Amino acid sequence: MTTTEAPHLPFDRRNALEIAPLFAKLRDRGPLSKVVTPAGDLAWLVTSYEHAREVFRDNRFGRSHPEPDTAPRISDAALLSGPTGEFDHEERDHKRLRRMLAPAFSAPRMRALGDHINELTESCLDDMRAAQDANPGEPIDLTPLLAFPLPVMVICELLGVPFEDRDYFGSLSERISILDGGTDGETAMEEFKAYTLALAEKKREDPQPDVISDMVAVQAEDPTFTDDDLARQAAGLLFAGHETTSTRIALGTMFLLSDLERRDRFVADPEGQVQQTVEEILRLSATSATGGLLRYAREDVEIAGVRIARGEAVLVSSDAANRDASVFADPDEFDPTRAPNVHIAFGHGAHVCIGANLARTELRTVFPALFRRFPRMRLAVGIDEIVVRNDKIAGGVRSVPVFL
Amino acid sequence: MKVTADTGKCVSSGQCVLTAPDVFDQREEDGLVVVIDAEPPPAQHALVRESELQCPVAAIRLLDA
Repeated sequence: MTTTEAPHLPFDRRNALEIAPLFAKLRDRGPLSKVVTPAGDLAWLVTSYEHAREVFRDNRFGRSHPEPDTAPRISDAALLSGPTGEFDHEERDHKRLRRMLAPAFSAPRMRALGDHINELTESCLDDMRAAQDANPGEPIDLTPLLAFPLPVMVICELLGVPFEDRDYFGSLSERISILDGGTDGETAMEEFKAYTLALAEKKREDPQPDVISDMVAVQAEDPTFTDDDLARQAAGLLFAGHETTSTRIALGTMFLLSDLERRDRFVADPEGQVQQTVEEILRLSATSATGGLLRYAREDVEIAGVRIARGEAVLVSSDAANRDASVFADPDEFDPTRAPNVHIAFGHGAHVCIGANLARTELRTVFPALFRRFPRMRLAVGIDEIVVRNDKIAGGVRSVPVFL
Repeated sequence: MKVTADTGKCVSSGQCVLTAPDVFDQREEDGLVVVIDAEPPPAQHALVRESELQCPVAAIRLLDA
């Protein structure tokens, strides 16, 4: 592949609620395009829904690489930007990981967690009220009061991580997700792993009903799951558990507030509408600054008439696939009555997000509670003024200024 | 409508349970799918069809009566 004609990621977008128009232009030309990653390497970008699902389901694509040192890279971020895992055992290792994590994220556990998520949400809403009362007439920022702390409290509890450490691992999460941070991402990742490994050591002595204890128990029976594997997975879960949901709470609120009639329709019956409203928020909230989820071809593969050579990188853009007009009528419209709404915000295939239940449970709790408490809430600035973070893997916004 | 699910394929994603909680559940010990209503009433059919489409590994099968 050559870099002469290929467009460079991340693509320019107008605001946080839209995606870059270039995704649709590329899709019109074909389901797969060559692009240049933020790291400057070439990759294939999948923009069509059908082919995104196909690649996600095809086990000839994986997260490992036959020659990791030569693999095309996405960015300098320490997560999701290059190959991970062993090429020869990828499927075995992935199955083991899912088996290990599945109980903690199952629906019965989520139902048990539901009441507690409710309490945590209400305490965040109390904090929002207090912040507004302390500065009447001034906007308050939803991000540090709700969008960030709520998912962090929940993931801390699930993994067995002390909430008091949030500023510390919050800054590590920030550093491992910066796209152009040079070698600092790897330095931060090492620090993050040392932190999660120290937690695991404590749980080895004193196991608790939490995910890190589950991992320690698996390791006791299967020494091929190394300390390094355990530390990296725990750090990855801690990162993924708050960053992604946090972004969805911020963007979901912005979607609901960007049109006050839309807000009022939701306020009229939050419980009745929440399930479909959350699915529409998930479908439309574009959170990838790297273009999509990374796969490498394990062998030569042909997709949609395009030959992908062994070892080449493929970025599957769920953001673009979720706005493919061949599947979703008026794909850029926020329509909470859309049915069916079979988006791939959590990916698809065997690697589909293990935290999907958790994310849905949190989002289905937070939006009705938020709009029951503050039915007249409105944005304090225009949508175009809210800056998109294109320098971090999960995208998102730094702040959401609102009046209650 | 008759609903079956292949636990051999299931990857415990739980997408079906959150879409149609009256028809599907997950086992607490391993997160594998459980069909709790194999012949759901018509009011559930749309959600069950959506679950079938959503299943990331095509583990859900529907037979229309």
